Amino acid sequence: MSQSAQSMLLVGESGVGKTHFGAQLLKRLLNSNGRFRMNGAATNLEPFEATMECLNDGRSAAHTPTSTYVDSEWPIADAGGREFTLIWPDYGGEQVKNLLDTRRVPAEWRDRVMTTSAWILMLRLHQLRVSDDLLSKPLASLVNSTAGEASETELLKLSDQARMVELLQVLLYLRGGGVGQVNDIPQLCILLSCWDELGQTGTPVSILSNQLPMFYQFVSSNWPEPIIMGLSALERPLDNKVSDEEYVTKGPEHFGYIVTQDGSTSTDLTIPLDVLNGAAK
Amino acid sequence: MSGCPVENCYAPDATCALGNLLLKNCPNWGGQEKLSAQPSPQNGDEIVLPWSGSALGKSDVAFITGRKSPLTVGILGAENAGKTSLLAAWYLLIGRGAKISSRHTFSGSFTLSGWEAVARSMQWRPGVQPEFPPHTSTRGTREKGLLHLSFKEDSNLLRDYLFADAPGLWFQRWAINEEAPDAQGARWVVQNADVFILTADCAALAGTERGSARSAIQLLARRLSANLHGRPVVLAWTKSDIAIADTMRQAVLDAVSSQIPDFIEISVSMQTPVGQDTGVGVGLTDLLRQLLETRRLKATLPASRAKKDDPLFLFGARS
Repeated sequence: MSQSAQSMLLVGESGVGKTHFGAQLLKRLLNSNGRFRMNGAATNLEPFEATMECLNDGRSAAHTPTSTYVDSEWPIADAGGREFTLIWPDYGGEQVKNLLDTRRVPAEWRDRVMTTSAWILMLRLHQLRVSDDLLSKPLASLVNSTAGEASETELLKLSDQARMVELLQVLLYLRGGGVGQVNDIPQLCILLSCWDELGQTGTPVSILSNQLPMFYQFVSSNWPEPIIMGLSALERPLDNKVSDEEYVTKGPEHFGYIVTQDGSTSTDLTIPLDVLNGAAK
Repeated sequence: MSGCPVENCYAPDATCALGNLLLKNCPNWGGQEKLSAQPSPQNGDEIVLPWSGSALGKSDVAFITGRKSPLTVGILGAENAGKTSLLAAWYLLIGRGAKISSRHTFSGSFTLSGWEAVARSMQWRPGVQPEFPPHTSTRGTREKGLLHLSFKEDSNLLRDYLFADAPGLWFQRWAINEEAPDAQGARWVVQNADVFILTADCAALAGTERGSARSAIQLLARRLSANLHGRPVVLAWTKSDIAIADTMRQAVLDAVSSQIPDFIEISVSMQTPVGQDTGVGVGLTDLLRQLLETRRLKATLPASRAKKDDPLFLFGARS
């Protein structure tokens, strides 16, 4: 059996559900009935302790503090016996926003981008949209709108899909060592999180390309085979105060699903880790 | 702390011009740190991104030209001719995934904030009424400069494009006086562009000042032809949903064709005719596709009279 230390960069803005996914993934790995299983003991489960407690109690967890960045090493193996060391990061999503706002990349982030073998980008499509404009909705339809002045902050803000393109451009730039050409581009997996709140049918690719077409073109232009999946880590919204009785009775490991590239649904939340197999090829 | 002493290097505000990702690795910057007791505003281990996202200035372009020479597009025309609206419309069309070309896929942009600044006025936002982009004044707050787009061709070849967003007043001055001090920007565009769009504003050509609008295009075409050196030109009839008199159209065509023998003519409008696909306007994707397909002029070597096949001995060989 070969052992391969595969680290993953999990990127996602604030509120996309990184910690919830981490906790649910950990449960699945420990239960050992998915495509990947835990193959030993994780170094540090502390970042997920509180979240797992909340989920066991049928409640959603609190927001991860901005300054937090904890790497947790998980020894995992796939069904074929291939062993990996998965380095799962937990951090406040504001760190991603700060990269774009300050245009400065701290050394730790640079090292993560340089050394990781696969990138998982989590997008919550419900939070992202493309505005209508004069071409898609001409001035003739300007009947009931109210005119106003855009604030200075609003003028400086990038649109949602431009911000996502910029984020990946920054990662590619860092990976390329600054020359703008990337030879060992890491495998990319895009997880469309909180799938249950979308209320749409279709494959993850079709929904992403419909909702963020420029971003999708950018991804398909720069990655030959990006993996695009849907994820509902909790399967349904949980309140942070009122417990969900079914969660308490059955346990959180019985909730959550992945929508694979062909649109089929699986309760095996470890499927996205296949991105590591791609990276290891 | 003062900046880097190397000319055209804007560290620590931007990346080291010599390509050192970490300033502490740059010999010039190291010297600066020794000279100064002040702490550096940049943490020595931080990387400053070399692009800000805004329109690029002449010094910033080196970051893009370093990997490949981009194709520069110069959009010429009078004030309010719709030059900035063209740029805004292209960005919005790309943003909504409009089919520009079957051969080209959007591959990124290092001036996304610049594009957004141009296009924002045309977007519907809560409480804000959309309108066509404000006039690009010579003293405007929006940064004038070069907007960047990357496309991958079907051959997987990456191509960079730079679009000059310059005020019409620069070109009006330049058309009248090639050496005008306030036309420096226009001269730069004309000197460096690989392809030109000459805009003919249908609204102006149909309006009360249509005579001076026609004359301005004639002057601009004449000036451009003197500086063209074989580079391609597209005559874009902007705001083409507004009808102009046939005689006026012919006068403009005659004026341009007498100066520029080979040019392509495309009519563009933001108004989509009733019954056609909504949201793409008229001619906007055709014009952008035309630019994407443009190739830089190649040098033509004189014919060789040598009879050898070996290219190293083709010239200077006695036949």
